[in-house]
Formats: sequence, structure tokens, C-alpha cells
Amino acid sequence: MAEESKYWKSLHRLYSQGAGGDAKADEFLPGVPDEFKSDSLSGMSRKQFLALLAASAAFTTAGCRSYRDKGEIVPYTKKPEEVTPGVPNYYASTCTGCSQSCGILIKTREGRPVKVDGNPDHPINRGKICAKGQASILNLYDPSRLRRPQYGGSQIQVELSWDKADAEIVKQLSDAAANGKEIALITHGIHSPTTKNTLEDFKKTYHTAKLYSYELFNDENRRRAWEACYGTREFPAIDWKKAKYILAIEADILGTEGMVLEQIREYADNRDILKTAEFSRLYCIESTMSLTGANADYRLRLRADAYLEFALALKNELEPGMTDGAVGHIAEFAVKYSLSADVLERLVHDLKIHKGASLVYAGDLLPEEVHAAVNEVNELLGARVLYKNQPAEEIVRLTPASEIENLTARMKAGKVGVVIHFDSNPAYHFPKSLEYEKALHAVPFSIGLTEAENETSAHCTISLPVNHDFESWGDFKIRTGILSLQQPVIEPLYDSRQKESILLVWAGGRYSEHIYHEYLKNRWKTEVYPAAKTKIDFQTFWYSSLHDGAIEFAEPVQMLPAFGRQAVKPVPSEIDAYTIVLTESYYIGDGRFAGNGWLQELPHPISKIVWDNYAAVSTRTARELGLQNNDLITIGLAGASAMMPVFVQPGQADGTISIALGYGRTNAGPVGSNAGFDAKLYPQALLSGTRVFSGAKISKISGSYELASTQEHHALDDEFLRDIQFKRNIIREGTLEEYSRNPNFLREGEKELTNIAKEFEYSGVKWAMSIDLNKCVGCNACVAGCNVENNIPVVGKEQAAKGREMQWIRIDRYYSGTDEAPLLSHQPMLCQHCDNAPCENVCPVSATNHSPDGLNQMVYNRCVGTKYCSNNCPYKVRRFNFFNWRDNFANGFYEQESAVLAENPEVTVRSRGVMEKCTFCVQRIMEARQYAAEQGRELHGSDVKTACQEACPATAIIFGDMHDPNSEVSKMRTHGLGYHVLEETNVRPNITYIAKLRNISA
Amino acid sequence: MKKSILDYTLRIRIPLVLFTAAAFCAATYFLSRPERDGIGYAPIQPIAFSHKLHAGTMKIDCKYCHTGAASSPTASLPAVSICMNCHTVARKNKPEIIKLTQYYEQGIALPWKRVHRIPDYAYFNHSVHVNRGIQCSNCHGDVEHMDVMTQVSEFTMGACLSCHRSAHENLKNIPGIKNGPENCATCHR
Repeated sequence: MAEESKYWKSLHRLYSQGAGGDAKADEFLPGVPDEFKSDSLSGMSRKQFLALLAASAAFTTAGCRSYRDKGEIVPYTKKPEEVTPGVPNYYASTCTGCSQSCGILIKTREGRPVKVDGNPDHPINRGKICAKGQASILNLYDPSRLRRPQYGGSQIQVELSWDKADAEIVKQLSDAAANGKEIALITHGIHSPTTKNTLEDFKKTYHTAKLYSYELFNDENRRRAWEACYGTREFPAIDWKKAKYILAIEADILGTEGMVLEQIREYADNRDILKTAEFSRLYCIESTMSLTGANADYRLRLRADAYLEFALALKNELEPGMTDGAVGHIAEFAVKYSLSADVLERLVHDLKIHKGASLVYAGDLLPEEVHAAVNEVNELLGARVLYKNQPAEEIVRLTPASEIENLTARMKAGKVGVVIHFDSNPAYHFPKSLEYEKALHAVPFSIGLTEAENETSAHCTISLPVNHDFESWGDFKIRTGILSLQQPVIEPLYDSRQKESILLVWAGGRYSEHIYHEYLKNRWKTEVYPAAKTKIDFQTFWYSSLHDGAIEFAEPVQMLPAFGRQAVKPVPSEIDAYTIVLTESYYIGDGRFAGNGWLQELPHPISKIVWDNYAAVSTRTARELGLQNNDLITIGLAGASAMMPVFVQPGQADGTISIALGYGRTNAGPVGSNAGFDAKLYPQALLSGTRVFSGAKISKISGSYELASTQEHHALDDEFLRDIQFKRNIIREGTLEEYSRNPNFLREGEKELTNIAKEFEYSGVKWAMSIDLNKCVGCNACVAGCNVENNIPVVGKEQAAKGREMQWIRIDRYYSGTDEAPLLSHQPMLCQHCDNAPCENVCPVSATNHSPDGLNQMVYNRCVGTKYCSNNCPYKVRRFNFFNWRDNFANGFYEQESAVLAENPEVTVRSRGVMEKCTFCVQRIMEARQYAAEQGRELHGSDVKTACQEACPATAIIFGDMHDPNSEVSKMRTHGLGYHVLEETNVRPNITYIAKLRNISA
Repeated sequence: MKKSILDYTLRIRIPLVLFTAAAFCAATYFLSRPERDGIGYAPIQPIAFSHKLHAGTMKIDCKYCHTGAASSPTASLPAVSICMNCHTVARKNKPEIIKLTQYYEQGIALPWKRVHRIPDYAYFNHSVHVNRGIQCSNCHGDVEHMDVMTQVSEFTMGACLSCHRSAHENLKNIPGIKNGPENCATCHR
């Protein structure tokens, strides 16, 4: 595999063979060193300078005769029992960053949250949390949060007290109810049974109140198809562990869709090199290059409007007797869309002969008919055995698109008295054609409940600040028999209230801090406690549930009803027009994380573009339309149009243009406003779920827009070494077949490297890491986890474009093969902690050197910033502080009072002029050392988990003691598939990569 | 022989410059000692607390008040509520205790002046040292005899390293103590 393929990192590289002067040749991108000009320096002479120096030294001496003030220590007046200063506390809670409600464990120091990880006791996400959940801590400390109730948006800003606001609002609500005017309550999807009760209570008090619930990324199509096929909207969860042959149809199951953490975990369980017999095979057919496609063993690209035809052809293939006249067989389909007939044949063969272990999964963005057809295919495959008996619950049904259209019409007609935005942002989310802002201005009184000002609250009569997740109570239910609890871990930072308690007050309650807490507890006492059928008393049950964060209890589940065939008629697709696919952005969700600098700066897992979205087109489409990267186009669709920069994406289906939603917000604070482009050109069918639209008109417009990508910097290989690139073996891969024939195929022909210098004798624990490329899907959770743990600053788009992003770990992405059907390889790259570290030899001040436990140490207070180490690092993993980033980014936005609270107190905040890099989370090693000393034992390798390891949902990262022969990491180090990157340089890295095995047939 | 410019330089200028420089360095060295290592620093505290009385005469264990010393990187100063464990009853009409009670009852933060301090870029861990058997007095001196808390040893990197490098000589009271680690990441991260 590795022998034939030639890796390339971007199209520019693929097509510019031999063109020198590429970004690779220099350490810094062109233009970066230009800022340093000698003629702009001071004109002071040497003598003047020395004289000044002497004088100031004299003054200093005279001035330093007294003790320096060392500040104060202010202890607690009344110390809370559970707090020991300097020792963290952990609390279980629930994340509401998306609709999956994962269990989280929040680490607090002296009452302030500093880190978020998955809750290990949570039955679904089991100790893992995605990048959004990791970084959500920055939303808590976001300086642009709304601090107190106010009239209007930022322009008007008249503050008012909660009492006054409540009185006025209750009067308006009563008036509206008395006059028979509608009170519209607009929410996101509701996944909390107690929140639902609150809304019901509110509706009882104000009988004209009506609930509208929407979600930009929803599973409505799937639910409707299940209703049509099985008579229930609650589709079961899938046991991905048992699914060995998976076909994902435009479904990013390893990236954005469904319960991603569970999906990645169970997928990765089937990619364990110690159990190769259990390897699964993933097929993917998609138009957009997604993480799932990147990890698939076989990937096919197909324009997004042909999936119904594909699903029906697949059905015909599996059920030969029932051939539908209009759609032919897979072979004909392959010819029509020029797909690889071999791969499709193999797919059908695999699905057929592995009935009961094979599964077809269609993406949420595909129309209902595709889901119905896929359901039938799964019935034919006997996939029922893969369904867990845990249906996906629907607490509140999302409002159909037609009713939302109705609402805006009634708002415009003056039939709506009050609109309450229950932490929702319809002015940004609703299609432009609904003219929501205009409709909102026609409503006499509107209220925005929000954490920070947004596009909607800016147009409301009153904006009310609501608590962040970490300041809130709640319970969530996404599957039958599983309830997840949310508890506050910090007092509200500002004069904000929990959104549910605000409604309870309007519904006649008296405000107290505990109003919703009591309400929640009450429901648990009357509804959950009896259902849990436990023998312990309620108080104990309540506290133990809060402690664990989630409870599982036996709840009656209906058996999945029999399948009812739906006659699905194929709709002929227009092949000449362009098709738009609107995808979910990987890290900023539906725009609610747009103000989070850490998430904006996480590179897109495929294109590595930061701070922006773009229109992804294939090379052929780009040629047809005469487009290049960074060109601007307008996309016209059913009367609406949007402007977008172009990015030529290898592997993108011809004729399909993919755009991520969630960008282009106009009122999301200094960080998120105007990052990327608003792609809301979808017709009014929004919220029906389908995000594939045919018949788009594309036209190139003048001008260009620079997209910042992190892929071309920190390149691992050098231009003049191009021809020996294969021998460098940065990425090593093989196939499962090769491996089963010869488990040592990778190591064959390798020579033992010798060292002329005397070897250093390591004794005791020696730290090492292994990264399993079979399991790594490239999701960036490790990067986000590292950002939070190690106080990584946000640098902004302009600086990221210069290659100055500061993340200590990055995921390198390599393409191989052709740009139409590329193979992708992901490789997390971080400091390799080499035994013979080249950076250490060149540091003139010995600011980087080696520890006896194998760490490559970086001492900031010794570093003078020569950058020699970075220049000499073969892996390009060192990061230089060109500025004091907190001060440099967005006028010191992250230097403001609340933002600094997010810093980990155990890690130095680096200033300008010093180099930094991965430390193997040395603060965690030291913490483990402390606990070992307290218990009077030696430190073990298993005591320490690095932040990236803890974050990795696939458990691809293993950290530990390589001197312990029984540790997981030493087993990986000696494994036949283990290799070091740039092994031949003999720098002896302490990170072992496990070569990827693709489950493909030669 | 006519005096040359070289003569002047050798006889007067160089010695003068060398003397001035040496005197300057010596003066700086001695004058700046307090600022540099802080030995002898004994700031006035908001409450005239006596370690001599509490730790010396009454022999209260250090860890009764400094609760984190054996379980946390920071030894931590006692919360006012810990003082009140005794002082709700003991000596409650003395002026300093009345002050203390006011802090407690009104919930005002008690701003003790910090006596010992290492720079922000160094991370010291009390728990590791205390659990290895190192006495508080090894660094903080004979606190039992201090009416006013005073710094008696240097808290510089040199002081840390001198003990880490020859723990046996410095800590004769702990048999079999091993040298401390000397690598940078022990304290800097």
C-alpha cells in the first residue's frame, strides 16, 4: 500500500511537481519576517545607551533597599467543607452544546470550572466528550455575555432590574392572554422532561401561549420515515460494535451526526489491532468529503441528489424478485454515475453474505424517501438484530416548517402579542425568505432569553441574561431508560437567571435561587423515583443520582413493530444543474459556538481551514466554472442567493457544492461576528430536515477572499527531498490481508540504528505515548482538550494564516491517490519527546533539555526566543509566541477579567517571545506524583492520563511507562505495526504510531 | 620621561574604573539582599497572630491550621472558621480576637500579608515534601519561637537545588532520604 501511493497534502502540491519555492522550503511563510525592519529601530548611540543604563542601575540600587511586597493571602472566611485550596473537585453534569446531552465531568478549582471531560459513569458517552463540549468552558467565561436585564439590544441598552422586568412582562403576557393574542414561545429542541413540564405550566397560565420548537440540524426525515415504515417516530439506537459491514450514505457518523462519541467508540472498538479478527469494513458513499468518508475503507463519491436512486437500486439488488421498473440494478447505476462497479459489487456482496452484521445508514440531511428505502434495505439485511432496545426519545416534537411559516405570517399581521425567545436565535436560523426580523418588529412586545446578545435579542424589547450550563440545573433524556442530570458548579457570574426559573416566575412562582432546583427535585420525587424502583430513600437516591450524573432504570419499551413497506417512487434527478449540500459545521454547531475562539480556530478536519466556511467544489466542477481557491462566487437557489469563497476539495462529488452552516453570524461578539459566510439560501422548507437542494445557479464574481488553512505550514517534508518521500515513511499503512499473511510486514528490511554517543541510562518510570492510527478518526477532540488543559491562546485568522497558530497537538491530514478518489490518512502530531532531541542541542541557553523520566522539557523563564529549536525540530511541533496573544487578539478580548478565569492554574500562561510545545501534561504527572507520595508508594505509569488521551473518543492515544513491560504503551511500542515517524533520523521519539490497516482487498 | 596617555590610562583610569565597578557591585549585592532573598521580612499582619503562642506554647500541630500541607500543593492559611473553632470561647474579649470575630461574623475577607513567596513560574508542592518527612521548620525556621512571622531562609532556586542535591546533609533527621529531582519540569511547567 505504502509502496504504491504517493502522499500529497494539497492540490497545489499535487499539480506543482517540481515547482520550487513552495511553502515547504522555509520555516516561515513569505512575508512573515518582513515585519522586522532594522531602520525602524531607535537612533540612540551606544554611548548614550550605556550612560542611561549606568544611571538607571544606580537608581535601581538606591531604590532596592527594602523588602518587596509579596501581596496578600486571603483565606476563606467560612471554608466550604469539600474544598481544599489547590486540590480539584469534580462534579457530574450534562452538556447541552448540541441535542445529544452527553454526560460531563467538570473539574473545578476553588469553585471555578477549569476543565471539562466526559463523565465515565454516563452510559452513552462513557467518559468522552467532543471538541465542542471541551471548549464550552470558554462560553461560561465569555466576556461578551449579557450581564443584567436590559431594554433593547446593544444600541439602546437601558438597564433594568429583574423585579421591574418581571412585572412589566407579566403585565404584557396577561394583557395578550386577555385580548386573545398569541404568545409565541420559540425554543430549540427540548430534551429535558422537566423543562417540558415548565413550558406546560407556562402554557396553563397563559392559555394563548403556543410552543414552537426548531432545530437547524435535526433528524426529522429519519423520524418521519420510521413513522411511515414502523409506525413509531422513536427509532432505536444502533449497536455499532456488532455492525461489521457498514454503508454510510452521506452520513457523517464519525463527525457530526447522531451520538458521535458512542459511534466513534464502537467503530474504533472494531479497529483494535490486538483483535484483528473483529475488524469491521466501512463503506461510504457521499458527495461531501467528510470524516466518515476519510476513514472509510471504500469511499465512493456521488452527487447528492442521486441517493434515492442509489438506495432503490441497492434494494433491487438485495431483493431480485421485486425489481422496480423505474430503477435498474447497481451495475447500471454504476455506469450512469460513473462509479466503480468493482466497489459496488463488493459492497453488495459483503452486505448480502454478512446478513445480521451489515447495516446501511443514511444521513439526516437526506430526504424522507431515502430513509424509507434504506429502512427497507436494512429489513432485507436483517439489521434488526443490530438495534439496541433503547429508542431515541422525543420529548417535544419539532414544529413543522409550515407552522413556522404560519407564525411569521401571523406575527406580520399583528396577531401575535408577545414573542419569547427561549434561548433561541430565529433571526439567524430561520430562512431569509421568512423575513423574521421584519415579523419581529411587527410584534408589540418581544423578549430574548439569551446568554450573550445575538441577532434576535438585539431586536427584542427586553433582553434577559440566562445562566450557562455550568450554572444551571436540569435533566435530560435522549433514550428510553436513561436520564442525565445537570447541576450548577459555580454561582452565576452575572445577574442572570436560569431560563426555566424565569418562566416559572412568569407562571406565578415567587423567585428564589432554588425555584427550578426545587421544581426539578419535585418531579424526580414524584415521577422518576417511583419509576426507578429503588429501595433507598429519595434523598439518598437524589444525591447519588447527582453524584453519578446519570441514572439507568428499567422503563417499558415497545418491541419494534413489523415493517410496513412504503412504495417509494424515484424522482428523476436533474443531472446538469448544480446541487447544494448544507452540512453541519464540525465545531461551531448551528452557530451557537461562533463566539468561541478555541472552536473557531480548530481546523476543519479535512480542509484544515480555520475561522471560515466555504463552498467546496470538485476539481472538475472548478474547471467547468473556471474557479480557483479563494475565488468568490454567488450561489442562487430558488430566489435566494449567497456569496461564498471557493475551496477545491479533493474527493468532492462533481456538480455538488457543499457548504457548512453556522458561520456568518452578524451579532456574536467580537470573536464570532462576521467569521465566515451566512449560507442560509435554503428555501422555506427549512426545518423539514432535508439539506440537499438541486437546481442551483453558480456564477463567479470578481474579487477574492483569503481562506486561512493550517495544513500548508509546519510541513513535515522538504521540497528537495520529494523523491525520497516514500522512504521517509511518515505515514505507514498496509491492508488487513497483508497483515494477516505477515504480521511483521512493516518491519521487514529495517536496519538497526546505532548511536555513537554514550546512551543515557533511564531508570524508573519513562514516559511514552502510542497513537493508534487505526482508531484515530481525526475528530480534533484531543486538540480541544489540550487547548483547555494547557492554556493555549487564540491567535485569530490573520495570524493563523501566517502559520502562527499555537495548538500543541495537530492532526496532519495526507491525501494519496488521485484528487477524484483520494485516500486520506490522519496523523496526530505533537512533540515526540525524542531521546536524542535535536531541539535540545541547539538551544543556546539550555531552555529545552531532557528529564530523567524521558520528557523533553521546555522552560519558559529561561527561553530567550532564538527559535533555533523550532528550526531544528524535524516534526515542526514547536510554537513561538510572536505576541502576547491574549493582548494581541481582538483588542485583548481574552485578557478581560472573566476570560482569564478559564486558565488552568497549574500551567504557566506564556508571554511574548518564548517558545512552547507539548509537555506530555507534566502538571498531571506532578499531580500523580503528589498522590503517590501521599500514599507512600512509587509512581506508576498508569497513574497519569494526558489531556489528549482523556479526550480521545476512540481511545487511540495511550500514555504510560515504557519500562513497565505489562503497560499498554509498551505492548504498543513492541507491536509489529508500531513505528516512529522519521525513524531514520535516529532522534528516538517516545511516541509510537501504530500503522493503519485498511480493510480492503488487493 | 614624558607621561604618555597610556601611562595615565594604566595608572589612574583603569584602577579607578575597576574600583568604582567593584564598589558598585559590592554595594548593590549587600544593599539589595532583602529585596533579593527576602530574609528577615516580617510584615505587620492585620491581626497580631503569634505562632510562638499557638505553635510553641500550646503545641498546636501546624497542620491543624495549615490544612493543605499534607494533601495539597499549597499549605494554605486557615479559614477564619478554623480560628473560630477555639475562639468562639477562648479569649473572646481580647481586642485582637474581637477583630477576628468581626471578620468572621461580617464575612469580610481577612487579608493576611504574604511572608513566603516563590515566583509564579515555579510550582512548589507542599504535600510531596511533607509526605516525604520533611519538617516545616526545614524551610520556615523555628516558627514556634516567632511572635511575628519572619522569613528566615532564602526561597530561591539556588536554595531549592542545594537541598535537592544534597538532601542527606541538609536533612540529617530523616534517615535514608533521597536527593530530590533536579530536572526543570519538577518546578517549571
